[in-house]
Amino acid sequence: MRLPARRIAPGRAEGTALVSAVPFSFVGGADAASGEILDEATGLRGERFGGRVFAFPHGKGSTVGSYAIYGLAKRGLGPGGIINDRAETIVAVGAILGGLPMVDDVDVRGILTGDRIVLDADAGEVVLPDVEAKPVVSVFLRNRGRVLLVRRSERVGSFQGRWSAVSGYLEGGEDPRERAVQEVREETGMKAVTFRAEGRAVVARHGSTAYVVHPFLFDAPRRDVRLDWENVEHRWISPDEIDAFDTVPRLKDVLISALRGR
Amino acid sequence: MRILVAIGDMSRAPRLVPITSAHVSGASYKMVGDPGLEFLEDFALEARVAVPTTVNPLGTDLRQWRELGVPPDFAEKQERIARAYETMGVRPVYSCTPYLLGARPGMGEHIAWSESNAVCFANSVLGARTNREGGPSALAAAIVGATPDYGLHRDEGRQPTLVFDVGARIRDFGFSLLGLFAGKEAGDGLPYFRGFRATEEDLKWLGAALASSGSCGMFHLERGTPEWRSAKTKGLRTVRVAEGDLEDVRREYTTGDRPDLIGLGSPQLSADELRGIARLVDRTPPRIPVWVFVSRIVRDACPEAVATIERHGGRVLADTCLEVTLLEHRFGTVATPSGKGAYYLPSLCKQKVVLDDIRALLERYA
Repeated sequence: MRLPARRIAPGRAEGTALVSAVPFSFVGGADAASGEILDEATGLRGERFGGRVFAFPHGKGSTVGSYAIYGLAKRGLGPGGIINDRAETIVAVGAILGGLPMVDDVDVRGILTGDRIVLDADAGEVVLPDVEAKPVVSVFLRNRGRVLLVRRSERVGSFQGRWSAVSGYLEGGEDPRERAVQEVREETGMKAVTFRAEGRAVVARHGSTAYVVHPFLFDAPRRDVRLDWENVEHRWISPDEIDAFDTVPRLKDVLISALRGR
Repeated sequence: MRILVAIGDMSRAPRLVPITSAHVSGASYKMVGDPGLEFLEDFALEARVAVPTTVNPLGTDLRQWRELGVPPDFAEKQERIARAYETMGVRPVYSCTPYLLGARPGMGEHIAWSESNAVCFANSVLGARTNREGGPSALAAAIVGATPDYGLHRDEGRQPTLVFDVGARIRDFGFSLLGLFAGKEAGDGLPYFRGFRATEEDLKWLGAALASSGSCGMFHLERGTPEWRSAKTKGLRTVRVAEGDLEDVRREYTTGDRPDLIGLGSPQLSADELRGIARLVDRTPPRIPVWVFVSRIVRDACPEAVATIERHGGRVLADTCLEVTLLEHRFGTVATPSGKGAYYLPSLCKQKVVLDDIRALLERYA
């Protein structure tokens, strides 16, 4: 799998991934003398960076964090590279001072601790050679503040019975937005929908498979939906109701990304 | 330069803009620790500042540390941090109130300051332009002489995001309470205040508290700050502030009841404020020590006030400040009128806090 990324600090790092699902502070979060992770909330307590590629959503805490990254890097105890969802100045400055390659604009939840990984900041990408990417479009139709959820039938290939947005696989080289329009037509019978936004890709991992979901938001002129064989029921919900539904993995993140746009 | 370009890219800044001064936080050994000491010493081997640069308070007064019971190792490392900064060419005055030290940036001047209260004062009261820099980015800007042009450097970044309609009567200590209240409401927004008048000193306390409980880099005061006329308030959410709201804030931040120190600073006091405190202490001597935090310049300018406070068992400490100094080795509860102090003392100094007006505190602990 290849994920596009934005270069923050130049360079390339190769190795295994170390992933925290929560924001991280290098002050208090790691021991300066050993490079051992201390922050319990990361789920990595007791691990050492040891040159691995460290992925976490974003930095937090004191700006002294920049100096802490520098100190770890100087002693060879820090990560070999850094991947963030969204870079902020503390970690970005630290990576530059420490000479560590760094990228952001990557959904770090698509990476698992232990994955083989190549971080190529200069090429602007992150590569997971052992992970197979399955690109998918996921479309939220919106009408007067409500968005459409559909429940997947027993006849589809995956996640039967779960709630989802209108979705479909992308075939090689296909334009995601065109595929999105087509899926809407097939699954709902609606033709006159209006493109509103495409969000940043959300990566949902399922073992060594990664569903790379391209989120879309379209406005629908009406609410009458004609389902095809792929779905068995539908519901127009307010976006804050999504937690009440048993959905396909990470559908809430896909919705947030679609609503936010690029 | 690479730091500034990376920050500029992340913030979608179209260019770097030249600056006339820098102010760098991250000088207290208590705050930056060994990682900061190591970096600053390495950096000082080559780096030199390109514009007039001031630095935040240290972790102790290096001329009085023995009397304060500061461990020698701490003082030695603190001394090395100061030396590293001075090697880089900064002005050797360690203050969180660079705007009181003579060289004040003017209206529209671009600067790169860290230290949240100084940022708030420079933007709001002086009309200068700076983002809320972190220590490392302000240092990078000092060396390059420029900073990324985004946020508060641009007209559109200086527009208010919410209005505070203040019905309460605000005097002296009330500005700290109002700042704490408004910062919590405003978050990372930009407040527009109306309903009171204020001196420059009042605005200093308001901004310091505002920039602590919120991450505000600027505010407007109707008929009070230089850019209020260009602020567009139409359609903004309005928050009304009554006396009771401020009393709630005072109670919320009061976490102790038996202080063993009265701490006055955060930010450092001006010469006028120091003289005023000396008069109050002389009139109502407290039975617990009073520590007053000022810049070296102010301490040297007010020998009589210093002597008065010391005669009553207090201290006037220079080049350091209330929340970045070493208190936790001696004290457990600090009484202070500073909103910023009340906000940071529990986390940075492991102190309980009694937040109240200085006159009330002196009378209560006389």
